[in-house]
Amino acid sequence: MDRILIVEDDSETAEAVAAEVRGLGLEPVIKTTLDEGIAASALDFRVIVLDRMLPGGDGVEAIARMRAGGARGLILVLSALGRAANRVEGLEKGADDYLPKPFEPEELRARLRALLRRGTMQVLDNDLLAFGDLEIRLKARTVHVKRGHVAVSPKEFELLTYFARNAGQVVTRMQLLENVWKLHFDPGTNVVDVHVGRLRRKLEEAGSQAIQTARGEGYVFAPLAGAVI
Amino acid sequence: MALAVTLLSLLAMGLQYRLVETRLMDASRALLTADLNGFAALYEQRRIIALRQAIDYRAAAHTGGEMLLLADRKGVVLAGTEPAWPEGLTKTGEGFTADGAEVFVRGGERWLAVARDLPGGFPLLVARSLAPVDATLASLRRGMAALGLALLAAGALVGWFAARSVMGRIGRINALADRVAAGELSARLEGARSHDEFGLLETHVHAMLDRIENLNRATHRLSDTIAHELRTPLNRMTQKLARIEGQDDLANDLKSEMRAAIRVFDSLLDISRAEADQGSGGGLVPVDLSRVAQEVWELYEPLAEDKGLRCTLTVDPDCRVLGDRNLIAQMLSNLLDNAIKYCAAGDELRLILQETPDRHLLTIADTGPGLPDEMKDQAFERFVRADRDKDRGIKGHGLGLALVRAIAARHGAKLGLPQVEKGFVLEIGWPKLSADP
Repeated sequence: MDRILIVEDDSETAEAVAAEVRGLGLEPVIKTTLDEGIAASALDFRVIVLDRMLPGGDGVEAIARMRAGGARGLILVLSALGRAANRVEGLEKGADDYLPKPFEPEELRARLRALLRRGTMQVLDNDLLAFGDLEIRLKARTVHVKRGHVAVSPKEFELLTYFARNAGQVVTRMQLLENVWKLHFDPGTNVVDVHVGRLRRKLEEAGSQAIQTARGEGYVFAPLAGAVI
Repeated sequence: MALAVTLLSLLAMGLQYRLVETRLMDASRALLTADLNGFAALYEQRRIIALRQAIDYRAAAHTGGEMLLLADRKGVVLAGTEPAWPEGLTKTGEGFTADGAEVFVRGGERWLAVARDLPGGFPLLVARSLAPVDATLASLRRGMAALGLALLAAGALVGWFAARSVMGRIGRINALADRVAAGELSARLEGARSHDEFGLLETHVHAMLDRIENLNRATHRLSDTIAHELRTPLNRMTQKLARIEGQDDLANDLKSEMRAAIRVFDSLLDISRAEADQGSGGGLVPVDLSRVAQEVWELYEPLAEDKGLRCTLTVDPDCRVLGDRNLIAQMLSNLLDNAIKYCAAGDELRLILQETPDRHLLTIADTGPGLPDEMKDQAFERFVRADRDKDRGIKGHGLGLALVRAIAARHGAKLGLPQVEKGFVLEIGWPKLSADP
């Protein structure tokens, strides 16, 4: 069974993360200090969930040491240092994703899924992403539904591409803001919803129900059955 | 300093010069007196005849150092070294004393002369050349001038070395201050300190820097601690909330309340962090302001359109600044969010970025209600909110514009609130970054 390393000193948080990991069908391994975490990181883990303010130091500062020690798992920093500046710092220092506390279980699940998927996903070098009668041409940057062209703005195209790469999985608003708009702060209003709503209407008018709301969590890009990814 | 020492030395030398001059003149006068005494003795014995013989004898010796002349009552020269009585020399008295000796110039030399009219109308001139005295004094003057120049040169040299050393050491401290101002709080001076005022100054500066660094570190640690101590329990609450079933609305309300509380804390911490980092270029990188403005605009434009605002974006390309992309985006997001919140359908919303000769001028303008007059002076203070917003039930904490101001200050950008008839207009003048990387 694939394993996920959790380096977290708060036992309740560690247990909450472990529960999500089990829910995904993986085995959690919990370490409570930075040194133990670094020592364990060299073992075979798919993902390393790393806290920052740990007994022994800052998890982010230890990423380079973990990598040097042979850690191959993708790193998700899960920290109370959640301001935009902290998040950017973490990503710049080598974290693959950064989730601030407090986090909602759905958000963590979405992040873990995205990372697990990223670990196995092959590089998409082909030009065409086809989901039934929805087609995305990457080089031409065009979208077709039922052979008809759907006019989308450049941002909407990026949004759709991000959805497509995470097809079948819940994608949260925070993930969209971070990955499509490269913004790492909470704008307060749900600006993202308006964009998703527009893209969704365009697709629906063309006859595709690909984007759906996952209540309380985010959105799911659920292409028709028999989709080829 | 060197000049004062030189002046004092010159003064001392001047006094000495006077003394030497007086002594030499006295010696010349004594010689003249001796001469006169000799002539007086001869005159006692055989009057003019003896005098004439003696002068002839002396004139024949022709030492050059003396001038003698004896004439008869008609002015015919009886004996002497001169062919005629020198002009401009008046005869005084009859005796052979040296009293009333006067200095006159003849043949380019100075002479100390006694001119008498001996009884019976015989003019007598006895003079001694002052050339040796003048030569001595001239060489003395030359020596003093040379010494004075040497003193000045030495003074200037010593002064230059002293100034160079002082400037060098002040320069070291200035360079340190520059590094600290540029954000390198841990910068210190290398090497041993001297046991003088400069060493003391360096010690004081280092002590101050240590303190600033400690305070800064404490501030950062405090904001990290606040974040940790606030978010960890909130995290436990969130996990527990997720387990509550059947009361989704209540749970969602609680979640959004918590999210709002975190936003307030983050804003406060962001403001104090931006203010603490103000003026230091540390952490800032070249940012394409045009692009950030466009990106944030595109994020908010659909929201504004859905609300019925008329939106216009005018952006000059390639306006580059030294900045933090995320902070700039946060600032623009705050401003656009505010504008959309306060404007009503039909209002206009414009974002303009222009390159002016000295700044990149970013203007955000709307035709909404604008700032109430009584609030204009303090709109950028923390927790300041217009009463009418509270009355109208518009949510907020009064941190948006305070964060805008702090982020502007962090980038050295200047805020301006031009007078407009209607609506809210904010101008932000960004320092330019030259196009070359």
